[in-house]
Amino acid sequence: MTDTILGVEHLSVRFGASTVVDDVSFAVARGESFGLVGESGSGKSTILRTIMGLSPDWSGTIAVNGVPARGTPRREFSTQVQMVFQDPYASLHPRHLIGNAIAEPMRIHRMDNVEARTLELLALIGLGEDFAYRYPHELSGGQRQRVAIARALALSPKLLLLDEPTSALDVSIQAEILNLLNRLRAEMGLTFVIVSHNLAVISYCCDRLMLMQNARHVETLSRAQLRNRELDQDYTKAFVAASTL
Amino acid sequence: MSENLIEVKNLRIAFPTEAGGWHQAVRGVSFTLGREKLGIVGESGSGKSLSGRAILGVLPDYVRIEADKLAFDGIDLRAASPRQRRHLRGGRMGMVLQDPKFSLNPVMTAGAQIVEAIRIGDRRISRAAARKGALDILHSLHIRDPELVFDRYPHELSGGMGQRVMIGMMVVREPDVLIADEPTSALDVTVQMQVLSILDELVERRKMGLIFISHDLQLVSRFCDRVIVMYAGQIVETLDARRLGEAQHPYTKGLLACLPEIDGPLTPLPTLDRQAAWSQLP
Amino acid sequence: MSTMPTHTIARAQVRAAQFKQIKSFCRRFARNPSGMFGFFILVALLFCAAFAPWLATHDPYLPNLSGRLSAPGADYWLGADELGRDIYSRVLYGSRLTLLIVGLVIVTSAPIGLLVGVIAGNFGGWVDTIFMRVTDVFLAVPKLLLALAFVAALGPGIVNAAIAITLTAWPPYARMARAEALAVRNSDYVNAVRLAGASEFHIIVQHIIPMCISSVIVRMTLDMAGIILTAAGLGFIGLGAQPPLPEWGAMISTGRKFIFDQWWVATVPGFAIFIVSLGFNLLGDAIRDLLDPHLKARP
Repeated sequence: MTDTILGVEHLSVRFGASTVVDDVSFAVARGESFGLVGESGSGKSTILRTIMGLSPDWSGTIAVNGVPARGTPRREFSTQVQMVFQDPYASLHPRHLIGNAIAEPMRIHRMDNVEARTLELLALIGLGEDFAYRYPHELSGGQRQRVAIARALALSPKLLLLDEPTSALDVSIQAEILNLLNRLRAEMGLTFVIVSHNLAVISYCCDRLMLMQNARHVETLSRAQLRNRELDQDYTKAFVAASTL
Repeated sequence: MSENLIEVKNLRIAFPTEAGGWHQAVRGVSFTLGREKLGIVGESGSGKSLSGRAILGVLPDYVRIEADKLAFDGIDLRAASPRQRRHLRGGRMGMVLQDPKFSLNPVMTAGAQIVEAIRIGDRRISRAAARKGALDILHSLHIRDPELVFDRYPHELSGGMGQRVMIGMMVVREPDVLIADEPTSALDVTVQMQVLSILDELVERRKMGLIFISHDLQLVSRFCDRVIVMYAGQIVETLDARRLGEAQHPYTKGLLACLPEIDGPLTPLPTLDRQAAWSQLP
Repeated sequence: MSTMPTHTIARAQVRAAQFKQIKSFCRRFARNPSGMFGFFILVALLFCAAFAPWLATHDPYLPNLSGRLSAPGADYWLGADELGRDIYSRVLYGSRLTLLIVGLVIVTSAPIGLLVGVIAGNFGGWVDTIFMRVTDVFLAVPKLLLALAFVAALGPGIVNAAIAITLTAWPPYARMARAEALAVRNSDYVNAVRLAGASEFHIIVQHIIPMCISSVIVRMTLDMAGIILTAAGLGFIGLGAQPPLPEWGAMISTGRKFIFDQWWVATVPGFAIFIVSLGFNLLGDAIRDLLDPHLKARP
């Protein structure tokens, strides 16, 4: 086995009586970009939220960089992995300045030079310094998503979980965000887990992908296998066919 | 097109801004619709949805709507009374919205909502007849067990099923024009095609005019006859859907190029270099 | 990595951005005529309270038996009461008492309700159950009855009346704050800081309370009219401010005896209550139109 940064084994998640993730296992190697694909309700986003500790009722094991998700204080775990949410309009506090939103995780961790690093992060995601003094409602969707990415990178995690990072954005903005993500991954040696319903986005961004349906794992493919249509399962074939129409 | 169902000339829509001025969201849009499938494509804020809603007359009353001509089948919509417009909306024009979760009444069963739609149009139709009509519509939407869906509440239906019910409500009165605003964006890819083919079948069979509003240029061009591309409240280009590749405007070309493809190259995606000239008035 | 920026986040710039927000709020408020009218009434009330000694023509407490129940005229602008005290001066001084009660009730009930609601909403579980059941108990008792019982137990007086009103005024704030907190605590932006390792205390103070503040302010301004009426009610039945304090409710109560012959004794303080309540209601409505997150109809 190569150097694993994220290991998920026999993960099951329940919301009350219903099982939304049913015995799913996968591993993500350091530096790779891994895609989780499926239709709504397939449980792909729930996996990300469970890794981040946002699902109350789950079983199985999750480890990031060897640190188990269960039992590790969130403060410590938070430097290992961070998440970017789907809706850029809901992921920034409407009454906090952009600069404060990016600086907040670093202030929580009592890091030094928070203000200089905030401006550095703003530059990294391609926004000017003056954005630090704006409120979210003054920003477009794409700019907000950039800010959310900067905030997730503030604690310098090596693993970034992205939940439908571009599905709320226009296609031209989507291209900009995807380019940014690819550049950041190359420059900073990050590992991505990207959840999306859009197979084209996953094929463009991810080295490997896992297809899910109804809370279960269907098939794991490499990008080459997807592009050569080396598909085993019927559902995978149907999904790929619907996505390439 | 000899027969124009909808004729829009120089439509302008403005919102009041915080500073007390007006924000021109739609700036001089003109098009006509016959018994055809017309796509309107643009990014958020391009004014595509506003234009559709202005035709239906469902914009809030603080919005300022002006047009040199806004006509439906020869009826001047600008001069029409609210009552007349409501009548048109219920009978001869229909609208399908993006997410059935928000556009269906959560406390009525799917069937009851279709029955209501039928009986609002004609009170003389008996409940039993309306029920039969509703079941027929559900059947024609390729729903395998119409009786089952009829008695379900919207939250008990999947997204695709909800959208079919929504379409059913809209087409049950046999409208001449259907305006579909992102009807498949909230649906999964595998369901998307089913809903589109149902829509296609209805439009073909009943010879309706369809305005299909979407952000997805590829999807629209596969589905429609003509495509209008909007940017910053204006039409930048009108295209024959089959000749998408011959698009002239740099914005249209940019929109097509910036999409990742499953089998596409892994080089950085081309991004839109927005020119100020695109949004200037001609 | 890009070059190190030369300067850091400047406090002045942050303040400028916040100031811009406030300015935009004021500009929008200024476009609401009825809100401006309410604001004007509030300013007038504050002015009267602050400058009562200079605006008054008589000593509000000094009886003048020769001028008993004088009709409004050159000497007594708004008439005199049964002890010959100038009603105009008494109403002016009464505005101080009104503001005192309203202020006392607001600074106690809103923070109590806000804290209880936010803690209940954010933590959920048994904390929520206990806090909200206590709230329910307070809500179940008729407002005026609870205030009456409390004043009867502690004895009448301005401060006791204010405490009694507070007791009945905080539960709605708790309800509202809890509802807001429930909506906010699972939002993505709160989850994002939670994932950064923030403590629940930090989340409540920095993220949830700021989102509740606007609803609380709206409710507060709308509540003030009710508080004034309740305070006047307590004064009217003799359980609020005690004579000779020129409390408006108490003044109406004494004027009641002469209502048919000397109408001004009861009418003038009644009119004062009416104007001030109306002002607070108009102000509250205007603020709600601007702040209420559920009413964001316009861009």
